[in-house]
Amino acid sequence: MNETKLHSRLREACPSGVGDLDTSAKDPFVVVEAAALVEAMVFLRDDPACAMEMLHLVTATEREAAIEVAYHLCSYTHHHSLTLKVVCPRPEGADQEWSPSVPSVASVYPSADWHEREQYDLLGVRFDGHPDPRRILLPEEWIGHPLRKQYVYPTSSGDIPLELDATPIYERPEGWTDPEHAPRAAGTPLVQPPNAPSARPHAGGKAPPPKPKGEGDEPATKPKPKPKGDGGAAPKGEGGDDMAAKIAAIKAAKAKKKKEGDG
Amino acid sequence: MGLLNNAFPDNALTRTVDEAIGWGRKSSVWPMTFGIACCAIEMMAVYAATFDLDRFGAGVPRATPRQSDLIIVPGTVNAKMAVRVKRLYDQMAEPRYVIAMGACVCGGGPYVKWGYNTVKGVHKIIPVDIFVPGCPPRPEALIDGILKLREKIGRNDVFRRRQEAKEQMSAAYEA
Repeated sequence: MNETKLHSRLREACPSGVGDLDTSAKDPFVVVEAAALVEAMVFLRDDPACAMEMLHLVTATEREAAIEVAYHLCSYTHHHSLTLKVVCPRPEGADQEWSPSVPSVASVYPSADWHEREQYDLLGVRFDGHPDPRRILLPEEWIGHPLRKQYVYPTSSGDIPLELDATPIYERPEGWTDPEHAPRAAGTPLVQPPNAPSARPHAGGKAPPPKPKGEGDEPATKPKPKPKGDGGAAPKGEGGDDMAAKIAAIKAAKAKKKKEGDG
Repeated sequence: MGLLNNAFPDNALTRTVDEAIGWGRKSSVWPMTFGIACCAIEMMAVYAATFDLDRFGAGVPRATPRQSDLIIVPGTVNAKMAVRVKRLYDQMAEPRYVIAMGACVCGGGPYVKWGYNTVKGVHKIIPVDIFVPGCPPRPEALIDGILKLREKIGRNDVFRRRQEAKEQMSAAYEA
């Protein structure tokens, strides 16, 4: 069966919540309502004509307006495949601490267990009904979700420094404490809530609202590391812009050289 | 040795005790069986027959940190792994030596700017004796690092160090 037939069959079985087939992508995909996801998955797995035995990837993408979760299914019996997508629109005025919620399909496909944990860990998508909703890659006391566009980089993880210019831990003076990440107090949960505050602006993220002072005339040098404890906005997009400008300058110089060489 | 010329039979050598102990130590550096990432593949090649680390007395990887003298850290150390690396290092007995193998371990490597959970060099966690850069370093480079470490071990003043430690400890007791 090709994707079109699979889609029409799926739509017959669960008419509510199954959207149109998008064939513009390399892997044609169907957008499914979050409420109908588990039903659609059960149908695709159990229907003998579909027989999707394998869920080989669960992944998420953050876009401007939404976070999309994609499920890549395939069948060994019939050698066909289909991609399902759940779109979680970003609510009006949502900040980086917003985390969407999708029903877990780990009860349908056990392989989804670790994939969903990974998406929770790196993008902060919560999977309702997941049997073990913990982080999978990062330490359990990690704060934030690193693949979000507005992620702010930590300076340390617990006792471990993560900055290039950090003092080695065996050279720290006596009684040293990280000013930003105090040790976890006894009794606090290991799993941080998804809306835990983060510490440092991520240079690759979306630019913050401009400062009242003239930010545009900042020198092209590398921005100095911020003094610790200052939670304010630092020039976020600057690293990327800087690099882009440099690349453009190099390209222009090369083109000029080539032109001169030709002439 | 000038004073002792002709004082011993021909088949006897005179050495300082420091030198003799250093020679013994550097000739049997036992590394720990420990690998993190892709550099570990090159490290295994060094242990194997082609490059044969046993020529330098270091070809006996020990299965436990308590029997090892050397920890080669081969591969990216991230926040979660750093805790484990530090614990392994803490379990080793003195004298212990550290080789940082590969670009990631020497200073972050490709993750130096955007690696959100990469420790920018294992020297932030444990004191490093020898840095072997490369991505990954050739086995020859690691062997060179081990030879440099042997030189370093051979230069160690065992008794002077012990004296220093004694002074430090007595100072700590007095304080």
